[in-house]
Amino acid sequence: MGPRHNRVWFWLSALVLALFCVFLLYPLFKVIASSVAASEDGRSGWLILVSDPKYRSAVINTLLLGLTVTVTSTLIGVPLAFFTARFSFPGKALIAILPMTTLIVPEVIAAQTWIMMLGNNGFLTRWLGSYDIEIPSFYGWTGLVTVMTFIYYTYVYIGTLAAIRGFDGQLEEASQSLGVPPGRTLLKVMLPVVTPAVLASAILVFTLVVGNFAVATILGHRVNLLSVLTYQSFVSEVGANPVMQSTLASVSIAIVACVLFLQRWVLSRGRFEIVQGRGTRPVGVGGARAIVLAAVAGIIVAISLLPLVTVVVGTFTRARGPVMRWGEWTTDNLMRALVAAPDPILNTLLFAGVALVLSLVISTLVGFLIVKKRSVLTPAIDYLGALPLALSGTVLGIGLAMSFRGGWLPLAGTAGIIILAYLIRRLPFGVRNASSTLYNIPDSIEDASISLGVPPLQTLFKAVLPLMVPSIAAAAVLVWTTTVAELSASLVVYSAGQETLPIQIFRLIDSNLMAQASAYGLVLLTIILLPILIATTLFKIDVFASR
Amino acid sequence: MHFPFRRRQFLAAIGATAASPLFAQASGNVVVYTSNNQQAVQSITDVARSKLANLKFNFVTGGSGVLLKRMETEMSAPQADIFWSSSANTLGAFKPLFEPYLSPEAATIPASLAEPGNLWTAANVHLVAAMINRKQLGGNPEPKVWKDLLDARWKDKIIIADPANSSTAYTILWGVKQMLGAQALRQLANNLVVTSASATVLRAVAQGEYGVGLTFESNAYAYVAGGQKEIKLLYPEDGTFSTPEFLVLAKNAPNGAVARRAFDHIISKEVQIALLENAFRRPSRGDIDVSQHAELPNLASVKVFAINETEAAAKRKEFLDEWTAAVAAKT
Repeated sequence: MGPRHNRVWFWLSALVLALFCVFLLYPLFKVIASSVAASEDGRSGWLILVSDPKYRSAVINTLLLGLTVTVTSTLIGVPLAFFTARFSFPGKALIAILPMTTLIVPEVIAAQTWIMMLGNNGFLTRWLGSYDIEIPSFYGWTGLVTVMTFIYYTYVYIGTLAAIRGFDGQLEEASQSLGVPPGRTLLKVMLPVVTPAVLASAILVFTLVVGNFAVATILGHRVNLLSVLTYQSFVSEVGANPVMQSTLASVSIAIVACVLFLQRWVLSRGRFEIVQGRGTRPVGVGGARAIVLAAVAGIIVAISLLPLVTVVVGTFTRARGPVMRWGEWTTDNLMRALVAAPDPILNTLLFAGVALVLSLVISTLVGFLIVKKRSVLTPAIDYLGALPLALSGTVLGIGLAMSFRGGWLPLAGTAGIIILAYLIRRLPFGVRNASSTLYNIPDSIEDASISLGVPPLQTLFKAVLPLMVPSIAAAAVLVWTTTVAELSASLVVYSAGQETLPIQIFRLIDSNLMAQASAYGLVLLTIILLPILIATTLFKIDVFASR
Repeated sequence: MHFPFRRRQFLAAIGATAASPLFAQASGNVVVYTSNNQQAVQSITDVARSKLANLKFNFVTGGSGVLLKRMETEMSAPQADIFWSSSANTLGAFKPLFEPYLSPEAATIPASLAEPGNLWTAANVHLVAAMINRKQLGGNPEPKVWKDLLDARWKDKIIIADPANSSTAYTILWGVKQMLGAQALRQLANNLVVTSASATVLRAVAQGEYGVGLTFESNAYAYVAGGQKEIKLLYPEDGTFSTPEFLVLAKNAPNGAVARRAFDHIISKEVQIALLENAFRRPSRGDIDVSQHAELPNLASVKVFAINETEAAAKRKEFLDEWTAAVAAKT
């Protein structure tokens, strides 16, 4: 390759880096800078934060909730992964659905359906009430921990499962043939190898809980939480000095930064290379043990799938205002969502569609630059491309709203800012997917094309891209499903008339109109499921491989 | 061949049909900032779908205090066309934001509800009520009068919204002070738990976290009408408070002409009936018989203590300070 070709890629890298700086770093910088600015009464946001017990309790509650859910998710996810990896029992195929459920059920719907089951007017609450069994209020800690655990334990499950499957069974056999009892072998040989994976997924769960807005705001009620207070300050500070919103947002940035630092430290020590990686075959279990295993696994899967069932039932249940008439059926809710007020559906399809196309183009380019065209700029692009994973939607939304209101790029109030928020939030999925595929495409293909006289950009389109098509399709499905479900960032940046499905569902839950919320929820689930079904059945694409 | 010609004619006909309503009635978007819930919002859009097919309502929802403050900060470049709705005691503090407008639909609204300068127009009349969850009274006798709620046995068992953000809470607390005095307000403050949004009050009582919530009849009645049996509304026998809520046209509304058309629509007879039937808002118009459309108690059977709205608006800052002090002094 001549120097001229290198220069093309270098300038493209510089362009990408510049875009990241403008649309990602600058908004972050704005948030942190505003937090140290003085408010109307002369105090900085940090001073108010320290002196107001409400904010102090929010920080403590958020950390506490993060720790609790991390522990409970690990307690469910790790044993479940162990048993599915090592044993085969009746109904095990059901467990294969697990990763699907967290991916496809938007958090806002999960929270909503739990209320429809166990809220004060929920069908389980009413059913138990008819036997004079009073259950404690689901709002507050009970609901927060329960719902978040059942959303996030799959992250631990998936991470641990991969590690156990990659573990070399011969090591275990060696240990046991040296006279170590099986239980001790697990602790001494397998545990150290699997631990980093468990810790990494546990840390991921912690950051997700800290950033979670949908569940926190719907179920938190009187428990002050950082993400909820951040959003509330944003709402009450619209147009005013954004002191509190940026301070609270900075706190969650700081928490996540600390946790990521911790993660690097954890991963840097204790790395085990599994050379051969011959996984152990699952052992068949029979009799009573099999029944217990199958029952436990079955219950966990059933609880994970309950939101889907509840949404369908809720959609077709008659409602009078806020009160559900369980057992009376109607299609009114669905007709309203589809015919009378379809704007949220159309908005979602339009915004997410545009974001998807842009996202695929940009992430493929970024992946190509990171993997195939390394330069001095590569580490920065690599790092910034993954940064949105660490930011909660609320924080990102606030940063964008602050940066692009008026000024040289007045995006606020237009659909552009929603699309931008979508694009940035889900970019890491596309980038990670593109770069992992590109590592597997040998450079020789490109070199051959160029040496045959095809210009570099044309080579990209004619030789490299066709090889990437299947993985781009998989990335497209992943980006699509997570984008249409996005709530926290779009809720901050949207304007009147731009409601998306998650925003509309959120507003209906806020007005206690659960039947209508279910109807929009069912539409949202359809929009999410349809591409997955088409991709997996028609095109045989393994959508979940890249996760 | 005739075909191309006929097709062109056909297209022209379609075009004319599609365009004709544009000339017949207003079209475009109108932005409404509203403190009302989705049920009320849907009453407006449901009627508009047949009556004003070319007019699209876009709603921004939030507490009335929050939204009015937002309009204030947006004054240089207004975003809202209409604000719907709040009490005079809250609106009074934001007069420079409003454009006077006398809607032709306002003719049947009683003169007693009119604002002299037509800065705002009555959209509905609220009654204050205590929303009671009979399963959650914790052994306390069901309250009947305001004085019952001052008893220390209700400490931290009654929920209300923040009067700084919610005109509902402001109306209630101002009324209690006028009727029972400053000492009673302090006693009540000692029993109250304050939440940031009025929607939370309804949810908290319906979900059984609190036995009593102080709110407007309309929002709470949805639970009674829906059939949640343990929920009951109390109109205190010593007198409850009634307050009209008003509709406001924003000054320099971005969609001016259309906004006036939307304004007329909101107080039209058809929408007011829809609001009564679906969202239990008592109409401001004189030409609607409440008992024909909803099972709300007849106004004649409820004792109403008259409050001076002008004074409530004028002393807003002073009263909120008094309230903050009362909450701070909570034991």
